[in-house]
Amino acid sequence: MSKVFSGIASFFKGEGWAHYRKTLRYALYVILHPFDGFWDLTHEKRGSMAAAHTIVILTVLTHLWDRRFSSFLVNNTRWSEFSIWLNTLGILVPLIIWVTANWCVTTLLNGKGHYYEIYMGTAYALTPYPLIGIPMIFLSNITTKEEGVFYTYFNTFALIWAGFLILCAVLMIHDYSLGWGLVAILISLLGMAVIMFIALLFFSLISDAVVFFISIYKEILFRL
Amino acid sequence: MKTSTKRFIVLLMLLCMLLSSLSNAIADDDDWYTYSYSYWGEEMASPNAFAVTNVVFPATLDEELGRFSGATSLFCIDDLVFVCDTKNNRIVELRKVEGVYELVRIIYTVQLAQKFAEAMTYDGAVDNTLFNPTDIFVKKVTLEDRLTNYGEYRGDPYVFPDEAKTEETPADGEEKKDETAGEEEQKEAEETPTPTPEGGDGGEATPTPTEAPKAPKERKANVVRQDLDREYDLYIADCQHCRVIHCDYDLNVVSVIRDPQDDTLGKDFIFHPEHLVTDMAYRTYVQAQGVLNGFMEFNKDGSFKGYMGAAKVVISLIQKLWRKLKTQEQRDRSAQFVPTEYNNLSVDSRGFIYATISSLEDQDIWDGTATPVRKLNAMGTDILIRNGTAFPMGDLSWGNTKGTAPSGASKFVDVIAFNNDTYCCLDKTRGKLFMYDFQGNLLYAFGNTGYSRGRFQKYMAISMDNLDEETILVLDSLAGSITEFTMTDYGRMINEALRLYKLGYYDESAEVWKRILQYNGNLELAYIGIGRALLRTDNYEEAMRYFENAHDSENYSKAYQHYREQVVEKYIIYFVVAIALLVIIPKIVRKVRKLRKEIREA
Repeated sequence: MSKVFSGIASFFKGEGWAHYRKTLRYALYVILHPFDGFWDLTHEKRGSMAAAHTIVILTVLTHLWDRRFSSFLVNNTRWSEFSIWLNTLGILVPLIIWVTANWCVTTLLNGKGHYYEIYMGTAYALTPYPLIGIPMIFLSNITTKEEGVFYTYFNTFALIWAGFLILCAVLMIHDYSLGWGLVAILISLLGMAVIMFIALLFFSLISDAVVFFISIYKEILFRL
Repeated sequence: MKTSTKRFIVLLMLLCMLLSSLSNAIADDDDWYTYSYSYWGEEMASPNAFAVTNVVFPATLDEELGRFSGATSLFCIDDLVFVCDTKNNRIVELRKVEGVYELVRIIYTVQLAQKFAEAMTYDGAVDNTLFNPTDIFVKKVTLEDRLTNYGEYRGDPYVFPDEAKTEETPADGEEKKDETAGEEEQKEAEETPTPTPEGGDGGEATPTPTEAPKAPKERKANVVRQDLDREYDLYIADCQHCRVIHCDYDLNVVSVIRDPQDDTLGKDFIFHPEHLVTDMAYRTYVQAQGVLNGFMEFNKDGSFKGYMGAAKVVISLIQKLWRKLKTQEQRDRSAQFVPTEYNNLSVDSRGFIYATISSLEDQDIWDGTATPVRKLNAMGTDILIRNGTAFPMGDLSWGNTKGTAPSGASKFVDVIAFNNDTYCCLDKTRGKLFMYDFQGNLLYAFGNTGYSRGRFQKYMAISMDNLDEETILVLDSLAGSITEFTMTDYGRMINEALRLYKLGYYDESAEVWKRILQYNGNLELAYIGIGRALLRTDNYEEAMRYFENAHDSENYSKAYQHYREQVVEKYIIYFVVAIALLVIIPKIVRKVRKLRKEIREA
């Protein structure tokens, strides 16, 4: 146990911590200079997985905080139906499917990026969401309904920004032209649909199979 | 261990199932059950706002009455109840005396003066009987009023040819008696060979078929049990005789509306009035079979004035685009977009017409593009206020199609308006009554389909009216019974709160809403009512809490704005002081240092 703690402590003191802070701060550079930023992110190794994880976690947390703490005027959450896990998975699962689908597609379309690079790029592209979302939660609590439109505007702006950044990430990481990038994104979205379909099919078939074997087992028990 | 956990889970599930079935049983087997809807559209149990106080079966009132057959409509005025016993071709008049319903009379025929002979002619013969009367409207009119508006209407009574004949030739004694029985008293009917006490059945016409142009129809005499002296005007929708008969309380015809003439009506249009109301200016609004342009409006003299409140045609954007793409021929061939047809109407104390439509698409009702209930002003514009969290459309949970229970949107078949601008809609799908306030909020819903007390048999016409402001009568045409609902204290409290609110006594209204909350914590309207009063008395923070409970973001925002002002006002002084200190202290410090320096140097 002491080893773990000393490990963590050395991390915070040592080179790792500095590197982590540097890569995390690099996200701010990326969102303002997307083309340079995403190119250097992978090609110059200026990003880190730890920072990417941090941004993803922050994104999930921002979403949850937004549901929980934003003002009643802009927040219409039905608490009896609210699930923290569903909301978390609602971000993480599409993210993972997106990365997978994009990796599958770009592998076939001469993409240069690795799986982890796509993940890192997408995570860095999500930065505007917590960056704008968290102040907006505070803002929503001091505005009336009429002023609350700013909350909506800024959050929409954050999403559009993030979307644009994802496009840039795909272009730079895979070294695509704009046309190819858009095609890759479109096919990736299709791929996401296919993956989800197959997953559903898989699970329903598996459950059917399980039910089948259970009933056979029961039948045998009855006959014996 | 695995099996034990499994067993535990199974047991838990069983318990859950048992419990849930138990709670269902409570909800279903209860005589009937009142509810309202939450902001999220969940059914929320509510105390009964109306209780079943009586179920009237006609046979128990008077042996003459028998059963109702396909009765479609019911009208109440003062202490009288008129029931259109459609398939029996009669109108039954009841009276509520000290809580008991009594038969007043059974109306089979009306009386007419000579001058109405032509107007009352149907199928070649003067006909004063009713043929499937579908609706009746009654209003208070004094004799002077009637005479100034319509002139002398009583005149010489019209003598039917068959009656005239028997009077002239008193040779057939037996048949003469039969005739007079119809005209005078039922007691004489004992002598007639037919067991039916109603005299004047068409048998006597057979010996002399040459007299009348056609075989006269069976003319049953009215049965009169109580001779009341009232000043009313009766408007009877004599549906299959294609006319509206307007007569006084003694059944003397005052005017007749028939054969409307207009270019919009096709050549083969036959006027089948189904439901009607009249206004103060003696205009009659008729909902007639197959008329899609709204209500037919008739002038005092019975001439057709025009249509009123034509229902808006609902065309979706896609339908519009699709239509654009079609050629002219295709357009002509494809089905026309016809406005929907009204199915019932009633008039409130101030002359506004409440109307219902049931031939609507479920999806349009849900989207609010179709309006199952409307309030029309004199121009025919829909002025119903729809400020509730849901549109006034009855049930919000429509059930699934799997069960035997009916599914789909509520179909309103009748509406009544109360003096405080609340209105009650009757749903045919599930046999329920929905009470809305003047803002369009659902106050409560009750009733059900079924065979027990307070339930209605489904899929048949049901009709209702309010006997007084606290009693609703519902006519179930399949069961042939009238169910009387009387308002409970809970219902009265809601009315009281609404009344005070409308008068502007917000604080008093809030007090009543607080009492209501003790009965029903689910009623979001009560929270809004209290919140409004708190808002007016500058209790912004508490008002916000109440508005949040009711999910009323508009009012919450208003309260919040004031609350924010309060907070800023309260703390602005500290803020200013803090700023000032931040600015001043460094200056002072600098000055002190300077002074010190100077002192030291000096």
